[in-house]
Amino acid sequence: MVSKKSRRRDPLVIRTPEGLYCPKAGAHIDPWRPVDCALITHAHADHARAGSKDYHCAIGGEGLLKQRLGDQQITTHAYGESFTRGEVQISFHPAGHVLGSAQIRLDDSDAVWVITGDYKRDPDPTCKAFEPVTCDVLITEATFALPIYRWPSIDQTMDQLFAWWDHHVRHQRTPVLLCYSLGKAQRMMAEIQRRSDRSVKVHGAVATLNRVYEQEGVKLCPWERTSETNKSVSSDLVIAPPQVAGSSFLKRFHPTELAMASGWMQVRGVRRRASIHQGFVVSDHADWNGLIQTVQDSQATQVYATHGETRVLTRYLTEHLGILAERLETAFGIEEGIDQ
Amino acid sequence: MNFVGLFQALDTSQSTNAKRNALIEFIRHADVLESAIAVEALTSQLGKKRLKPSLLKYTANQAFIKTTWLFEECYATVGDLSETLAILFANPQAKPQTKDPILKQWIDRQTALAGLKPEVFADALLAQLDQFSKDEAFLFLKLSSGGFRVGVSKGLVHEAIARAIDMDRAVIEERLMGPFVADRDWLKRLQEPVTQNELDARPLPFLLANPITEQEIASLNPQDMLVEYKWDGIRAQLIKTDQTIRLWSRGDHDITEQFPDIVDSAITLPSLIILDGEILAGTPGQLQSFNQLQTRLNRKRITQTLLKTNPAFFKCYDLLRFQGEDMRDQPLAARKAVLQTIAFHQSPVLSPQRVEEISAMREAARDIGAEGVMIKNRQSTYGSGRKAGYWWKWKLEPMTADCILIYAQAGHGRRANLHSDYTLACWNDQGELVPVAKAYSGLTDVELKAMDQWIRKHTIQKFGPVRQVEPLQVFEIGFEGIAVSTRHKSGVALRFPRILRWRQDVGPKDADELTHFHALMTNYHVL
Repeated sequence: MVSKKSRRRDPLVIRTPEGLYCPKAGAHIDPWRPVDCALITHAHADHARAGSKDYHCAIGGEGLLKQRLGDQQITTHAYGESFTRGEVQISFHPAGHVLGSAQIRLDDSDAVWVITGDYKRDPDPTCKAFEPVTCDVLITEATFALPIYRWPSIDQTMDQLFAWWDHHVRHQRTPVLLCYSLGKAQRMMAEIQRRSDRSVKVHGAVATLNRVYEQEGVKLCPWERTSETNKSVSSDLVIAPPQVAGSSFLKRFHPTELAMASGWMQVRGVRRRASIHQGFVVSDHADWNGLIQTVQDSQATQVYATHGETRVLTRYLTEHLGILAERLETAFGIEEGIDQ
Repeated sequence: MNFVGLFQALDTSQSTNAKRNALIEFIRHADVLESAIAVEALTSQLGKKRLKPSLLKYTANQAFIKTTWLFEECYATVGDLSETLAILFANPQAKPQTKDPILKQWIDRQTALAGLKPEVFADALLAQLDQFSKDEAFLFLKLSSGGFRVGVSKGLVHEAIARAIDMDRAVIEERLMGPFVADRDWLKRLQEPVTQNELDARPLPFLLANPITEQEIASLNPQDMLVEYKWDGIRAQLIKTDQTIRLWSRGDHDITEQFPDIVDSAITLPSLIILDGEILAGTPGQLQSFNQLQTRLNRKRITQTLLKTNPAFFKCYDLLRFQGEDMRDQPLAARKAVLQTIAFHQSPVLSPQRVEEISAMREAARDIGAEGVMIKNRQSTYGSGRKAGYWWKWKLEPMTADCILIYAQAGHGRRANLHSDYTLACWNDQGELVPVAKAYSGLTDVELKAMDQWIRKHTIQKFGPVRQVEPLQVFEIGFEGIAVSTRHKSGVALRFPRILRWRQDVGPKDADELTHFHALMTNYHVL
């Protein structure tokens, strides 16, 4: 650890109008404007934007990135294997967020910086589990940085989901699970597959991404794309993005019962405001304990928080754990209730 | 099924119909003491707070002893104290027990907890919560703190009870008026014939008015109507039996003790009578603002001084029982004829020939301190609830002002974590902004969400959950009344202020000045 020396030096990562930038490597991390070289943590829209010349991502992330950005110049890297740009050694490490998601480690031999992107510590059959990376400076997300966010076990949640599903099928209503179409949908389908031989119907947006997951070898439960011609109550669970609530998409399954799978469902008021009657607390982000654990595992002496409850996280780290922490404003982050 | 199971069914069901069915099932099949306490809770009659919110907060602060600010952040995000504690301190591994009765046991435990010394209370409560799942902890705390809403109206509970025991809803509602005794005989009692004495002392379900617009009034025949002022007070029934005089407000609250002056004035009334009317602040010759009544409701003890500074009286406009006879099936005109033989403050009645007379009376309403007019069908009987074609209310247009948002706070319940409670200000003669109103509603969900994001981006300072924002957004507010205030820096107190619209078309310089409010007070004889 060479933190004292490194902090007096210029920071390895700075913020520019284009996004987080490592001058020594001449590379941006998840830039929000077109640049020459973009290192991408994962394929969600607030982290991966089109228009840059060169993209780098972890193996496993390429398919999703192409699906999202169209045909681009993409170089993939195995987890943990480093490559050099300028004076900097760069490597991708599993973040456990979605398929191919990565933390990015930058090392100029004076200091090590890690940008987590979005991550979670809970198990997820659709992607490689999070691996702690030690560093001097950690740039972390803080989406759910409040002690009220602590995730129940997925076993408990899946039991609830199956009970809810069966209940509404018995009452001749179509159970509809709203969740983000990249990541959460496939995670739910993989969890269903591990526990049952149940099948689901999915919205077109989900279907497209399912194919990418399956090409990467992820096992999902049996699924078919919803068809417009078949108008009837479905005993299969329907999985669709949250935007379909209130749209004509749901009419074909009438009557329907809506549920949402998201970390935001932890708070009753949020669920009720979204007019959702059943919420399942499942998140692809770290909960409070996961965030604190990650900061401690990293052994970083300086932490930046990029999006979410950054004020709470930095204050807690500074005042109670004695870790130098600051907020770093970025264009990352998502609308409440959608929880990628 | 127990109360936890009922709550889960109610909380996750889509339609009123599904909620009603869940309630009927529960009343039919649950343990009878469980259903008794549940009904008491759902109709907000569970009574006193067993565990005060201050004790719950104290417990949380003990658990977060070095990071109380972190608990405050959690509370501000969740927006509900019971829910915050449930999320933080329930056992994530515990599975909710939804079958066997639990409410009696819970109430006893709450009483035991309430008796503990503060030093041991926090540990005892935390140990208790650790045995619960999140839902159980939430319900346990909600029940202990008195306030309880799960999107089920009192009417729906009454209807479900009526269906569950196959009786007429009107009879059930009448029998459920007055204090509710939660014991094993509650359902049996509801099905028994009632004694005469009980009957005389019970308030009856109120008849409510529907709003009406100017266009709709044109379709009424004025000669079929009686018109009265709509008074700005507390709707109440004044009940006199052989032994007692009682005042009941619309929420089924016995408010007799708050108004000894009205009880005194009712001594001369004949016995076995029920009057429907309004409790008003001031004296018949000199009305005061509604705020003065609030003071009476909020005080535990009504002192002689308070009776002098905040006098109240009862103005009646309907007769529901007379000489022990139920008058409700008689047409309004007949009830009024009998009412007018009784010497008591009465609301003046207009028998209009033309619509213009109704408009004229409405125009006069603000000058005499009323908030509009009531139009009542002469032939209407006294039904229960909001019956179509019986009574209408035609309110005055609200007074308005353009004000600037200066503070915002997250709301509660559905609006938890959404900055929806606004403090609005206007300019004084020094060119400073002074707060004039707090407003909670009036924007659409889309506007609220957009404003929430704006507020987060334009926060100057945070005081706990309150954000001071850049004074840039202008809102038109409406209010029903205006009074002089010594408590507020602005010197004005507005009655029922709410946001009418978001004035994105004007800037903060165009907002109203304090002189605008002074002019309103002068116009309406407040100054």
